[in-house]
Amino acid sequence: MKRYAYYLSCINESMTKEVDRSIDLWQKDLGIELVKMHESTCCGGSNLDYVSPKHFALVNARNIAIAEKMGLDLVVSCNTCLMTIRTAKKKLDETPALKQEVNDILKKEGLQYRGTSDVRHLLWVLIDDVGIDAIKAKVKVPLTNYRIAPFYGCHILRPSKVLGHDNPVEPSSLDQLIEALGGQSIPYEHKNRCCGFHTLLVAEEESLNVAAEALEEAIQEKADFIVTPCPLCHTVLDGYQSKALKQAGDDKKSIPVFHISEMVGLALGYSAKQLGIKRHIVT
Amino acid sequence: MTVSTDTHIEEVKKDITFRVFRFNPQVDSKSYFDDYTIKVERGITVLRSLNYIKEHLDATVSFRAFCQAGICGSCAMRVNGLSMLACTTQVWEVLEKCKEPNVIKVEPLRNLPLVKDLIVDMDPLVDKMKNYSNWVESTMPEEQMGRKEFLISEEEFLRYDKATDCILCASCVSECSILRANKDYVSPAVLLKSYRMNVDSRDSIHDLRLAELVKDHGVWDCTHCYRCQETCVKSIPIMDAIHGIREDAIECRGMKDSSGSKHAEAFMSDIEKKGKLVESTLPIRTNGMAWTMKNLLPMAMKMIVKRRTPPPPPLVKPSKGIKVFREMFREMTEHVRQDQKSHKK
Repeated sequence: MKRYAYYLSCINESMTKEVDRSIDLWQKDLGIELVKMHESTCCGGSNLDYVSPKHFALVNARNIAIAEKMGLDLVVSCNTCLMTIRTAKKKLDETPALKQEVNDILKKEGLQYRGTSDVRHLLWVLIDDVGIDAIKAKVKVPLTNYRIAPFYGCHILRPSKVLGHDNPVEPSSLDQLIEALGGQSIPYEHKNRCCGFHTLLVAEEESLNVAAEALEEAIQEKADFIVTPCPLCHTVLDGYQSKALKQAGDDKKSIPVFHISEMVGLALGYSAKQLGIKRHIVT
Repeated sequence: MTVSTDTHIEEVKKDITFRVFRFNPQVDSKSYFDDYTIKVERGITVLRSLNYIKEHLDATVSFRAFCQAGICGSCAMRVNGLSMLACTTQVWEVLEKCKEPNVIKVEPLRNLPLVKDLIVDMDPLVDKMKNYSNWVESTMPEEQMGRKEFLISEEEFLRYDKATDCILCASCVSECSILRANKDYVSPAVLLKSYRMNVDSRDSIHDLRLAELVKDHGVWDCTHCYRCQETCVKSIPIMDAIHGIREDAIECRGMKDSSGSKHAEAFMSDIEKKGKLVESTLPIRTNGMAWTMKNLLPMAMKMIVKRRTPPPPPLVKPSKGIKVFREMFREMTEHVRQDQKSHKK
């Protein structure tokens, strides 16, 4: 059983509780154990880095230091948490003075940031550690006949100097997961585009236009559902779906949106009810 | 004799089809693509191929180009869907990204009005540069101009060294998610230039420029998709500039009365208090109660029914060990204060 320090994303503790609930159902089936980091704090959500770069470094050095104390890699299931914590790690590793300053403060809690734990997305763990063949071997209900639109979201791909797992132009990890579960991954332009989440409360009309374009293309390509590795993308594409499509003058259509954890759960034989899929706005 | 197994190295010439976007508003009612197949040698750029097509196959194909060395920024276009300079892009580099083998799709930049074929109108970008005063308005008195050197420190120069690399090719403009949604948005190129001018100590209109940048369609509308930075032909960290303007706006007196600023600051205050973001009240703290009731009430009701958000009052359990965390957070606040003091000195 391979173990990981599992970072608790704010959104998965509030609006998208189904993510962690579904992971809890199947993690042992796939030979992984995600040990929850109850002491971790909000990463700053791609905002704290400019509000206060030094607090941003402190908060995320602490998050990573907790994983280092556990002797494990830090795993997240939110794209923005991934990008944010990896950005902080890069900054700390490249700036010895900042690392020192932060570590002087972290002493208070008996913590030290060394830079030894990697920061990874759950999707990467599934593809690279569990492996396609092992996933295939565990599938009980293959997603055969489903046309699935992979929606990667931005912060698992860009900036590629910080993320560096998938090719940001032609990503493949989510497509590989879909195929491993027996589904058909459909090619469409929006698979590596933006959902508009980060400006929802600041420039709502623009954000909804961005989301509507992705939704409309997936519907036009006759996808049965969209799947995303990011709960923030899910919140826009599911929660704001009717509003976005209405703004685009297209609100008679709809398309379900799943988290990767739910898609894996369905293929491993868990029910929609167990996985919390009924909590979605579009069902 | 060694035999290479790399077919790319073995093949030094290939028949390549350039599928070129065509539209002449004076004649055409809608756009179409023309295919031109030519023999291309390894090492040849997309621009040289287009020049060959124009000279030998079809003189009516229109595109803009000048320096052929990645300096002037004229020949930005979309090659296989991505914005880049035709003069610095080798045909061999983009072959792997062809949807049909050896067929390269060439299209004009997005988010700017089309003039003809691969040529877009740069005027909207220039107009925005004017609107956001993308030049240094010198602090030096006019009578001293040309008589005295206006030196800056190396440390200051390093703050905008990368930003000065911008050649205004508009590749970032073409890839921007928000511009695609609203053409009035300031655009990444103009944000980058604005940042570069605002950190220049020789400039005298910082506050004026910043006041313009924090208005609607300005710096807070960027959705952090990083497409601009990823596509930049000069590898400029454009998001650092955008974040730099935001950091400045939060620090600057009188610039914080915007939903973007309030939204960002809510993260800081929630983390200090709870270690967690209190998402359910974020709309109210960003835009006020009236906006939230008008815009989000029907959706909030759906969310409450589906238990995606708790009914008010929202209770968020603080992170474990929050007491020590708060002490450390406040210690860092003290460090930041000290930094600001010594910076002012």
